[in-house]
Amino acid sequence: MAIQVSGITKQFGSFRALDAVDLEVRSGELLALLGPSGSGKTTLLRIMAGLEFADSGSLLLNGEEALSLTPRERQVGFVFQHYALFRHMTVFENVAFGMKVRPRGQRPTSTEIKRRVMELLELVQLAHFADRYPAQLSGGQRQRVALARALAIEPKVLLLDEPFGALDAKVRKELRRWLRKLHEDIHITSVFVTHDQEEALELADRVVVMSQGRIEQVGSPADVYDRPASAFVYEFLGQVNRFDCVVADGVARTANGALSIPADGTVRGPAIAYVRPHDLGLSPSAAGPGRVSGIHVVGPDARIEIDLAGLPLEAEMDRERLTALGLRLGDQCAVHIDRARVFPQP
Amino acid sequence: MLVKKAVGFTPALADSRWVKGLLIATALGFLLLFLVLPLVSVFVEALRRGTDAYWAALMEPDAVAAIKLTLIVAAIAVPMNLLFGVAASWCIAKFDFRGKDVLITLIDLPFSVSPVISGLIYVLLFGLHGLMGPFLKSQGIQIIFAVPGLVLATVFVTFPFVARELIPLMQEQGNEEEEAALVLGASGWQTFWRVTLPNIKWGLLYGVLLCNARAMGEFGAVSVVSGHIRGETNTMPLHVEILYNEYNLVAAFAVASVLAMLALVTLVVKTVLEWRFGAELAATRH
Repeated sequence: MAIQVSGITKQFGSFRALDAVDLEVRSGELLALLGPSGSGKTTLLRIMAGLEFADSGSLLLNGEEALSLTPRERQVGFVFQHYALFRHMTVFENVAFGMKVRPRGQRPTSTEIKRRVMELLELVQLAHFADRYPAQLSGGQRQRVALARALAIEPKVLLLDEPFGALDAKVRKELRRWLRKLHEDIHITSVFVTHDQEEALELADRVVVMSQGRIEQVGSPADVYDRPASAFVYEFLGQVNRFDCVVADGVARTANGALSIPADGTVRGPAIAYVRPHDLGLSPSAAGPGRVSGIHVVGPDARIEIDLAGLPLEAEMDRERLTALGLRLGDQCAVHIDRARVFPQP
Repeated sequence: MLVKKAVGFTPALADSRWVKGLLIATALGFLLLFLVLPLVSVFVEALRRGTDAYWAALMEPDAVAAIKLTLIVAAIAVPMNLLFGVAASWCIAKFDFRGKDVLITLIDLPFSVSPVISGLIYVLLFGLHGLMGPFLKSQGIQIIFAVPGLVLATVFVTFPFVARELIPLMQEQGNEEEEAALVLGASGWQTFWRVTLPNIKWGLLYGVLLCNARAMGEFGAVSVVSGHIRGETNTMPLHVEILYNEYNLVAAFAVASVLAMLALVTLVVKTVLEWRFGAELAATRH
């Protein structure tokens, strides 16, 4: 089912959480709402679910106006950040809840409910835990119960609020893959909120980058990473070196003249240049302008801090490459930029 | 580092065994002196002249009337405060509105006002020379020195017990489970009955037990509005006082023992329920 958001605005007191947001969620896709805290992503998700009221704008679910509908009429599945499992019910009862509260006419028989619940618990690999209480489960298991519970009402849309936010790194990665696979299997239109760019880029078909109640960019993960539409998106997605510079004749120069970067023709005057750490090339050179001021090895990767005539830079390469270059702390080096983006000074 | 530290502390804890013993002895001694001993003495005094005298004191018509009246007052006041307590804590914990702080303060009011004053307020309001007295008299309604007055005073005094028990619990539990229920298609009522109420039932039970104990044991406020009419407006605590003032010690302690037993029953009920539903209780409290 497709979702059409147009002109949605939401104000909390003097804080504008959403500012005339337009967004289209395509049928069957997995969409990420990515942004820092306070960017309005969770508010947008809650408005889609009917848990929050929009001040103005319209929301179409499958072409029908939905803002005036109650959450139960919208038939959306919602997975809460802290799962919100019913603590006094077993896993089985949690998953069965959505079916049991249906009006008498639409309620499945109890054998049918049992069959459906067990089917869903198989799907989330928790069939053995049907009689446990949420308190007896690990974070990852609770998350999967929450998912099974949301899917039990056969929702047309699945909304997930920071689905992996409360999990440790390893479980988070596993669950992320598992969710991706689940989405490939059942193809339900899904929107998830996250502040973790890696999560958004790995999991989503399309990523919506939000900031201060507005949408900065919508695109495929490769799109938003390789062709950021704004300085904010560039800075928010991944590590970045940022320098103030002045553009003249298609070249951006830093104030101390240590670095010149090719800029496209549209930018002129004061600007900000961005270079990703792995787009920064280093080569040992006794006469080079840069000095290695720090080396941090993290697993297979190496992060090298460079002092370029007072300008701090960070480069990233794999460890083998660093060994091959033979750069050591305090060495002088030459710096070349493989790829950069220059945005006009806001 | 941390482990080493902890190991370093263990001998220190073990060395102070006599301190531990002293603390436990103090606590037990205190309990014995101030709780167990008085309780035991109530029963000892009540049974001083044997079980026949004990039963006779309880079967005496005025005593029976007092027990009945106490039960009636509690049977009206407790459900009223149950309803009010749940409604008030639901409002306060789950919604934001103007005047919330005022409501919380008002709920606490009966705790900070002397029960005698509470009773007096009702006399000043509904008494013969009170604000509404003449009107009530003209309508033939008697509140003070009658059962309605006793109920009103009891309701006022036991007002905060349920709400005070539930508000922190509900605030801690937050709104997420209710939101989840709504999204899953539950109606407002279904959400209340199936999600909110089960989550608060232990706190609610505890609040009701406390409320009931206080409703049956209340003396001050009830004493002011009762008028002490034997067999008519005397509740058990008032009856105990009258008997005691008449030097009828056996009868006084016999009726008092019934009140004491109420406390014991309350305790037993609570323990049995906790034991019976221990697993569920642990699950809801995680």
